[in-house]
Amino acid sequence: MTARLIRWARKKSLWVLHFNSGGCNGCDIETLDLLTPRYDIERLGILKEPTPRHADVLLATGPVTRQSRDRLLRIYEQMPEPKRVVALGACACSGGIVADGYNVVGGIHQVLPVSLFLPGCPVRPEAIIDALVQLQELI
Amino acid sequence: MGILTALFQLFMFPGVLFLVVAALLASWLDRKMVALWQARVGPPWYQPFADLIKLLAKEDVMPAGGSTALGAALPIFSLACTLAASLYIPVFGQAVGSFPGDLVVVLFLLSLPSLGQFLAGWLNPSVYGVIGGNRSLLQYFAYEVPLLMGMIAPGVLSKSLTIDILTTVQHPWRWHLFMLPVGFAISLLGLIGKLKRVPFDIPNAKSEIGAGPLTDYSGRKLALWQLTVALQTLVGLHLLVDIYLGGLSPARAGWGVPVFALKTLMLLAVLSLVQVLFARLRIDQLSTIGWRLLVPLGLAQLLFSIWI
Repeated sequence: MTARLIRWARKKSLWVLHFNSGGCNGCDIETLDLLTPRYDIERLGILKEPTPRHADVLLATGPVTRQSRDRLLRIYEQMPEPKRVVALGACACSGGIVADGYNVVGGIHQVLPVSLFLPGCPVRPEAIIDALVQLQELI
Repeated sequence: MGILTALFQLFMFPGVLFLVVAALLASWLDRKMVALWQARVGPPWYQPFADLIKLLAKEDVMPAGGSTALGAALPIFSLACTLAASLYIPVFGQAVGSFPGDLVVVLFLLSLPSLGQFLAGWLNPSVYGVIGGNRSLLQYFAYEVPLLMGMIAPGVLSKSLTIDILTTVQHPWRWHLFMLPVGFAISLLGLIGKLKRVPFDIPNAKSEIGAGPLTDYSGRKLALWQLTVALQTLVGLHLLVDIYLGGLSPARAGWGVPVFALKTLMLLAVLSLVQVLFARLRIDQLSTIGWRLLVPLGLAQLLFSIWI
């Protein structure tokens, strides 16, 4: 009973932290669309949080560069359990067009365990909402 | 029988359980109204409950350098102060306890969570927390004096500092709102400052300093902080309704509950509307407003209520 209640609460209250580890800012603008009246993710109980300590989901955009690799890891480690990672956009999924760059490590999955890959360049806001709803089903 | 009644009042109605559920529902209404005014859909009614349960069940990380016993005690202390203050504030005309001069004690108890947030900010190793804590202390000095003046003015006018007496003396249409409108406005502004809501959300300015004093809190402790804020909102509104809007009056017997609830909801709607309409002020602007505008007005209102 308690476990079911907690599971329900975790499903219905995803707090999201958004971090760009070296992308072009395109996906970041699309994630900000989620807060606008047109898409409004608060109706699904999803809030954007300013600090990793409050967050349940890490929305990671952009390829992981060598410089941001440690920061990404550190932010992930600051998040309290249970936590999930969503790789947002083509670069986050695989490294994208800059995958062969001298300063690029690759996709988010080469650094962190990723629950959901969401390709697109940039990702559409509808697709992000769909991904977050699918993430709710995963919990 | 007496003990059972007292326990029921303490823990069920109008005590802890009722207040927690009502405060969470009020925070949903607040979020929903803000969303509707911004042409959004807004969260479903169970959202604050889901948030609270999720946070209670989440891992509790305390960062190195911040994991003191005080850091863990502060949210509990703040919650306890808010709940203790709520015992003396009549809800639907019923308070758990009442004694001569309880208004002063309630105002003191309600001011302690702000100090708790200041200490919480300083305990954090995070810079955002330190800045947030600093700001909440500065804000505390700016809003607390006008708030006290605004809340005491009806007491001076009606020659009592007991909330119960202050509420009943207004029956049916001798509301303090009509006699001391300036005092009501000052109290409302002070309450917004105490609750750290827009336009006085300087200590936890999301786009500048993370979550302010609560930046490094997670899990259960964050849940307690959020519950404290929700309870503070409801308890503060109840206090305003009791002191300025006449509590249950002008209702006849049996109609007190909807009238009281309606008044509380109206005040909550005012707070939400202010949240939508205004942007955040800077801390120096708040200090200026507090000391150069609200304090003289509050003094004038006090003198007026002494002479009248």
